Amino acid sequence: MQQSRWTWRLLALPGVAWLAVFFLVAFYAVLAVAFGNQDTLSNPVPFWNPLDWNVGYVLEMLRNYWEGGPFLTVSLRTIEFVAIALVLSLLIGYPVAYYTARHAGRWKGLILLALILPLWINYLMRMLAWINLLAPDGIGSEMLHSLGIEWAFLQIGLLDEPGGWLNGQPITVILALVYGYIPFFILPLFVAIDRIDKRQIEAARDLGASPLGAFLRVTLPLSVPGILAGAVLISLPMFGDYYTADLVSASTQTNMIGNQIDIFMRQGSEKVTGAALTLLLSVFLLILMLYYLRTTRQSGTSAQTA
Amino acid sequence: MRTTGAAAAGVGALGLAGCDNTTTPIGAETAAGATGEVAELVVPKPTGPAGLPLPRPDNSVTWAITDDNQPVADGLANESGPLRVYNYADYVNPATVKKFEADTGTKVQIATYNSADEAISKLASGAVEFDLIMGLSGSNIVNLIAQRLIKPLNHSYLPNLEKNIWPELQDPFYDRGSRYTVAYVVWMDGIGWRNDRVSEDIPAMDVPWDIFWESQEYRGLVGILDDRRDALSMPMQRDAMRTGARPDLNTEDAALIDKAQRDLSELSEICNPKIAITDYQTLPEGKTVLHHSWSGDLLGAAFYYMPKGVPPTVLSFWGPEENGVVQNDFFCIGKESKSPVLAHQFINFLLDEQTAYTNFVDFTGYTPPQNGLDADTLLERGVIPETLQAAVVRPEQFAANQELLQLSVEGSRLWDQAWSQFKAG
Repeated sequence: MQQSRWTWRLLALPGVAWLAVFFLVAFYAVLAVAFGNQDTLSNPVPFWNPLDWNVGYVLEMLRNYWEGGPFLTVSLRTIEFVAIALVLSLLIGYPVAYYTARHAGRWKGLILLALILPLWINYLMRMLAWINLLAPDGIGSEMLHSLGIEWAFLQIGLLDEPGGWLNGQPITVILALVYGYIPFFILPLFVAIDRIDKRQIEAARDLGASPLGAFLRVTLPLSVPGILAGAVLISLPMFGDYYTADLVSASTQTNMIGNQIDIFMRQGSEKVTGAALTLLLSVFLLILMLYYLRTTRQSGTSAQTA
Repeated sequence: MRTTGAAAAGVGALGLAGCDNTTTPIGAETAAGATGEVAELVVPKPTGPAGLPLPRPDNSVTWAITDDNQPVADGLANESGPLRVYNYADYVNPATVKKFEADTGTKVQIATYNSADEAISKLASGAVEFDLIMGLSGSNIVNLIAQRLIKPLNHSYLPNLEKNIWPELQDPFYDRGSRYTVAYVVWMDGIGWRNDRVSEDIPAMDVPWDIFWESQEYRGLVGILDDRRDALSMPMQRDAMRTGARPDLNTEDAALIDKAQRDLSELSEICNPKIAITDYQTLPEGKTVLHHSWSGDLLGAAFYYMPKGVPPTVLSFWGPEENGVVQNDFFCIGKESKSPVLAHQFINFLLDEQTAYTNFVDFTGYTPPQNGLDADTLLERGVIPETLQAAVVRPEQFAANQELLQLSVEGSRLWDQAWSQFKAG
């Protein structure tokens, strides 16, 4: 008995060690740099001891936000882009996941394979392919034109001019984000819907619920954890994404918070500011994560007690 | 002038107490050399990283050769390699490298970096060691020296330097006597455009830079260099050209840097430019038609990137005669090089006229500063289309134009902040 408990704990060791080295230590290094200083060569000087921490750079960054500086602009834009991308992912992803779980029958495996298949190709390659498709003379942009989609986008002002998909349009960046990450949204959602006990839906119908009523009152609430899991899974990388905007737009009007971090960490001389921004983004994501954990725990307990 | 740095450093004073030279306030200014009462007789110049002088054409610097960092001795045979090279991607002809490998019987391993800042921080971290570093320039020299990242050269291994390289670059102000560096290629900042798509006669304009502010018609098809120094110095050149003044493209004046940022930000409304350095692909493909460009990218585009059926003569280039950016980068040898003789041989090989020529016209598009190569010769050989004649840099352009050079730490912050503001849109 005693021995087997230790065996189980030992099994957790690689995961714990991995997290400790590649997450906790790395994260602490970001903290130490963000609350550090830089030397006369512009190299970051991390302050490892929290008692020594220099809040100057973080305060400076917060002041930039307070005064409506560039960090506020890109942060609001990032939140807007990710929020719209999440809504679109839900609108596109839910029917796919629902159909696959409930109605695909023997095609289920094939559809799942088709969903995963694009992930075999490198993200960058997939985005580069879109650049050729959406170029003014590209097949994709010609199709959007002949299907009238281009016309519709022009009417509602989401597109500047015919064929101008790559001319620095926010909508292109948002759609590219959706395209890039949506498989990660659909898969957990599929699992959640697939696991719903069919007898619960049948019971709802037996008790007089219409098909729509059964969906709204049984299936949808029971798939919320899947929606949340998918949302968390794709919003985390979307918040940190910078290369999608760089590739399909490269305009200053579509730069996200990740692009600002990139400026300071990779191109500029001031890595401390980059670390401070990284820290802020992490805190924001942590709050979102905590909300997710709280909601899922509540729905877990309510399901048990129900 | 210093607001943010003071805040950051000031608040941190508590934590900094007791550290060694990391406590020096950021960008502290001193009148180099003069001390005591006479110090007040000198207008202080901004000093560079670690308090070293910032080289300028009117303030040339000879870097010392210290006891613990001597050049390799004369007359040694080359090491067996491999030669570890650190370079920008696609910045040396693979065929040229292969020929060197065959000639010397050694292997060359090339690792690449994406920006000079990335290269300096990786070298400084000590995580990577290289025999030869290519592509850094006067905007990094003080960092290289201050952090003791490079080894002095032994010119006895570099006969081609004196024989072939422009006299203007044999004794550069940022490294008098070429003690640590040797020029690799030269370029200038200018305007690249598709003459079949853009109707304006750009070189005939009073201030050609104005084209970017009048490019509503090309909205979405305009590009600005994704480099804070090149991009922000462009509106500065435009202002100077209008008034006939000589700009200081290495200014640390916050008002001038802010003005440049505001001017550049106007472009978002006018043409929503792409901020990119892929003009050598997007111009030939027509994905952009008007671009703020490095001259070498236009030549490279004409040499390699033209799609089938598009002649290189659709590309045009203009660069200012004076007060623009004309720059060179250099080779240098890593401080801890295990193959310093081989590294010298590689430099000398690339300084050979024939090698430099093929590396240029078969691959990079960036002009080597070779005495035997000038725009006229290249035009006669039919290598370069007439429309790109201006993209070949001539030695006399160095005097009338400026290089983008290393700034003080504080000055660098100002440029970084302006760039961050511009990029946020």
